[in-house]
Amino acid sequence: MTRKLSRREFGALVGGVAVVGIADGSDTTVPSGVVTGRGVVGVARIEGETTGRLDEAAVEAAMSAALKAATGADNEVLAVRSLFSSTDVVGIKLNCLGGKRLSPRPELVNALVDHLIAGGVVPRNIILFERSSRELERAGFEISRSGDGPRCFGTDNDYDRQPSISGSIGSCFARLVSERCSALIGFGVVKDHDLAGVSASLKNWYGVIHNPNKYHDNQCDPYVADVVRHPLIRDKLKLTVLDGVTAQCHGGPAYRASGIFPLGRLVASTDPVAADLWAWRVIDEERTRRGMPTLEAAGRQPRFISTAASHGLGVGDPSQLIEVEV
Amino acid sequence: MSLDRRRFAALLAAGAASAVSLREVGAATKHRVGEIIEGEDLPAREASWYRKLEEDRVECELCPQACTVADAERGTCGVRENRRGIYYTLVHSLACSVHADPVEKKPLFHVMPGELALSYATAGCNVECKFCQNWEISQFRPEQVRSVYLPPEALVEAAKKSGARLTAATYSEPVVFWEYVRDAARAARKAGLAPTVVSNGYIQAKPLKEVLPLLRAVKIDLKSFRETFYRDQLRAKLKPVLESLEIIRKAEVWLEIVVLLIPTLNDSEGEVRDLARWVKTNLGADVPVHFTRFHPTYRLTNLPPTPVPTLERAWNIARAQGLNYVYLGNVPSHPGENTVCPGCGEVIIRRLGYRILENRLVEGACPDCKREIPGVWR
Repeated sequence: MTRKLSRREFGALVGGVAVVGIADGSDTTVPSGVVTGRGVVGVARIEGETTGRLDEAAVEAAMSAALKAATGADNEVLAVRSLFSSTDVVGIKLNCLGGKRLSPRPELVNALVDHLIAGGVVPRNIILFERSSRELERAGFEISRSGDGPRCFGTDNDYDRQPSISGSIGSCFARLVSERCSALIGFGVVKDHDLAGVSASLKNWYGVIHNPNKYHDNQCDPYVADVVRHPLIRDKLKLTVLDGVTAQCHGGPAYRASGIFPLGRLVASTDPVAADLWAWRVIDEERTRRGMPTLEAAGRQPRFISTAASHGLGVGDPSQLIEVEV
Repeated sequence: MSLDRRRFAALLAAGAASAVSLREVGAATKHRVGEIIEGEDLPAREASWYRKLEEDRVECELCPQACTVADAERGTCGVRENRRGIYYTLVHSLACSVHADPVEKKPLFHVMPGELALSYATAGCNVECKFCQNWEISQFRPEQVRSVYLPPEALVEAAKKSGARLTAATYSEPVVFWEYVRDAARAARKAGLAPTVVSNGYIQAKPLKEVLPLLRAVKIDLKSFRETFYRDQLRAKLKPVLESLEIIRKAEVWLEIVVLLIPTLNDSEGEVRDLARWVKTNLGADVPVHFTRFHPTYRLTNLPPTPVPTLERAWNIARAQGLNYVYLGNVPSHPGENTVCPGCGEVIIRRLGYRILENRLVEGACPDCKREIPGVWR
């Protein structure tokens, strides 16, 4: 059973911990790293249009609310500073396999970038990336490799020269992740996956290894968890954001119109496992509403979630999921 | 091993490329012969072995992985992609490695000794051997390696220009580019060349049987004789490989087997004995078996190279089990490189590495006792 908390309740819950002392905004010196968040998923509503371009003010408000809810911080600047330092090179891994209709919306990504900059991250040290530049372009992103602003480009086969082992996987990681970025954000969507069950938070990191096609048997388990528990990801991953304005409950990972439903949510969490738990739940809720079998009944429950939890990557027990609605 | 423009140009020589570069070959494609292809601009062709499932999913019917692939996804091999319910091979005519090798390098010891085989490969493999010697092409997707557009006719032209009398699909895993293998074999036959394949044998019966009649010889890597090894070291199964070996043996195609002996993993006396017994019983005593030396690489760097005495022990066990042609590989100058007449015990073909030092074969027979030595000798 998931616990749903309002932001006020959540604030009371975590107020005595790391956020104490910065609540009045006068002290913005917050140690880098996750200050709170195991099991916490910040969920912001985005009202209005869900198929076209979103209202800018609504996007900004939702992103701000989700970040605050995820971190327990009183404002978005503190939220960012609780996770990133001004010297960080922050890589934002987008999941653009679904093309323009099922990828993180550029306006949401831009809102996150704006908050990072407001929180002190140097613009040129923000890198939006996917496996290939072509995928980014198809999803509506503009490629940018230079200048003073944020970068946006595909890793385009620039991998480590030798594979490294993590549990059952042996893979070359994108050098962008292994060498250039000091901090990572996963920015996915909320969608069904034909083999893994869910592709939202953890599965997104398949996009930084050279050989993801080798690891789709057995419902991607334990491989998804093995990728994310590699120190290159585990030690750098600070935040997960999910574009749940529209979601897909069936027919993924590619876009499939019949599986799309308006969810109207933007999610942020410092717990990548909890973010997947949340995505699993809302996908199953929609499937049930439609009279479809749950993912488990369909024989493809995302087992990698509990495996990831067993490696200490986050909360995998639904009863420990703390949904902070804002 | 991977190809660059200079090597490709040298291989084709001036005439070979231009002879076929003025026209597109095969299915509609915007690529031109000899064009270097990098990135995602791959020449997709509909795959020959798959079936459609509901909701735009497909099931690959090429290898025993039998991948079920959703729209926009690829199979385990990484070279076959589902695009809205149609399954495509992305590597037909997309060679990432091309080189004229001695046929002994394959190794095929009973096939046209001393001749060159124009050897070619695409990216991709359907298993993941932790000890893969060619992982830099086999474990990558086609857009991740540099390749050249080399349709079958151009491949054959390149073979002829290089002086090769054989072609060999090899280096990575030919099963994943099986349509290319089929079409290249047809073109090679037509040109009077001998098409061969070097494979792991991890393929379904139907595609194997369809292409076998086009081939002159096949070398299969039998990685182990234990299911546990196949599961743990390749994430595959042994049984389909044994079935492939039996299918190949029954066909009019020459078969040789290579066993890479890896210290502690597949080199026990019992396993080698079981393997040799199975080969003799199910394939016959005349199928050559090569035991080759492992060198640490890829994900298996914690083990030493195979000690020569371990190889020699396997050599002795297999011969004691009644196999007539047992060889040792990656041990240059060892007597195990030579072909010895099972009738009189005399050396018929003497080798040093990939070189033929002496070939005493006369009309496919031992010059001393006249015993016929099986193989494809011309």
